[in-house]
Amino acid sequence: MTTEEKDLQNRYVYQVTRCLPKAQREEVRMELEELIGDMYADKGSMEAVLTQLGDPARFAEQYRSGRQYLIGPEYLESYLWFVRVVLLCVAVPVLVLSLVSALTGLPAAAGQDAALLILRAVAAGLRNGIVNALAGCVSAFGAVTLLFIVMEWQKVKIETRKAESWSVEKLADGQKPSRPRWTPRFLEPVPDQRAIINRGESAVGIVFMVVFCVLLIAAPWLFSAVFPQEGAVIFVPLFNLEQWPTILPVFVLSLVIALADEILQMVMGCYCKLVMISNILCGVIQILLCALLMKVLPFWNPNFSAEAQAALATSTSKAGEYLAYWNADTVSTVVLAVMILITLAEMGTTIYKTLRYGAAVRLG
Amino acid sequence: MGEEKDLLSALLLELRRGTLTISVLSQMKEPKYGYALVQSLEEKGIAMDPNTLYPLLRRLEGQGLLESQWETGGAKPRKYYRRTEYGTQVYEQLKTQWESLSAAMERMLREEDA
Repeated sequence: MTTEEKDLQNRYVYQVTRCLPKAQREEVRMELEELIGDMYADKGSMEAVLTQLGDPARFAEQYRSGRQYLIGPEYLESYLWFVRVVLLCVAVPVLVLSLVSALTGLPAAAGQDAALLILRAVAAGLRNGIVNALAGCVSAFGAVTLLFIVMEWQKVKIETRKAESWSVEKLADGQKPSRPRWTPRFLEPVPDQRAIINRGESAVGIVFMVVFCVLLIAAPWLFSAVFPQEGAVIFVPLFNLEQWPTILPVFVLSLVIALADEILQMVMGCYCKLVMISNILCGVIQILLCALLMKVLPFWNPNFSAEAQAALATSTSKAGEYLAYWNADTVSTVVLAVMILITLAEMGTTIYKTLRYGAAVRLG
Repeated sequence: MGEEKDLLSALLLELRRGTLTISVLSQMKEPKYGYALVQSLEEKGIAMDPNTLYPLLRRLEGQGLLESQWETGGAKPRKYYRRTEYGTQVYEQLKTQWESLSAAMERMLREEDA
């Protein structure tokens, strides 16, 4: 073997082994040197040997033939859905918050100046919002992808363990494999068309709840009655911002529970026992939390009526007369009643659709 | 025409892939090194590229069907593979399956000719 041929051999072996896991490299190198040496003795030309062995990248591929993906076909569909919803949940609240913060930082102005200022603020808010949303989306995408990679990895580990536990001896001994054999009884009933939950609607619900949640945490003063005055805008908050640290966790918990229920509906994709049970449980907890907010905690701004009337004192609007009727207790009762009605209606729909059309899903 | 040829070679590749493991296992009762195996298979009419065979040998070893040993006494180090006991059990079962499969295939293809 000439020096040039030896060099060609070394280059070939390096190209094959460099893409392999470190632990395998040394042994594969020895194997390849043995093989190339034998083939060279047979054929007498390094060029002919390496041509027959073919592209080193394909050779390395054969050595690596195993799992060549981060997220496999089993998880891909859920992953794509999840990514879309999470990206929406990040992008929309970030954009909304950026716009709100740009608009609320406006200095007082009137007439054409005000219109120009608002336009500029909207443009600046949009620009910041897009930049922040892009950054947020990249992080969220990374986090979701990482989560699914871990899920895929865990599954692969489980499968490997199963493969190890199987052996010919066990089959010969008549031992049953640890996993139950598949029988037609495993088949899920085909869901009725009317039992199918619209995933798009669930996604919209989820995005809406996340936006609401973010605004409650970051800008609760936004939920205010707005009174434009000469050269200024007066915000009279609806909620009791002095007690907000006590109220906010309950409010957010209630939204998180609703969110969990909505996510479950989206994942399951049809009305079934699991969706029904979750909906009933979440509904009951939400009613209790709403009652806590409305009837126990000082939810409403106690000075709302007085502050609003003061803000209206200079204006000729008749709204001031209506404000005199503002009564926090009555508002609480009405909100609670509406909330109970809506929740019961939703629970009723879910129960009806599940029992009438829904697929039975084993909870075990 | 080119597409037809590609399809045929893809189908042939698939057909042959299923026979690789049983072919290799059948030759491994006695210890053999890789290139000797390539030649012995070729003599018996089973051509197998070394870039397919070498990774396959490592995979079968990983599955416990083959075991290997480096012989360093000769002019150059050689890695010899042979069937393990477990490999022999699996091979016997594969052989039984192959015999019944090939008999059935033969009957089926003869029917077509007739």
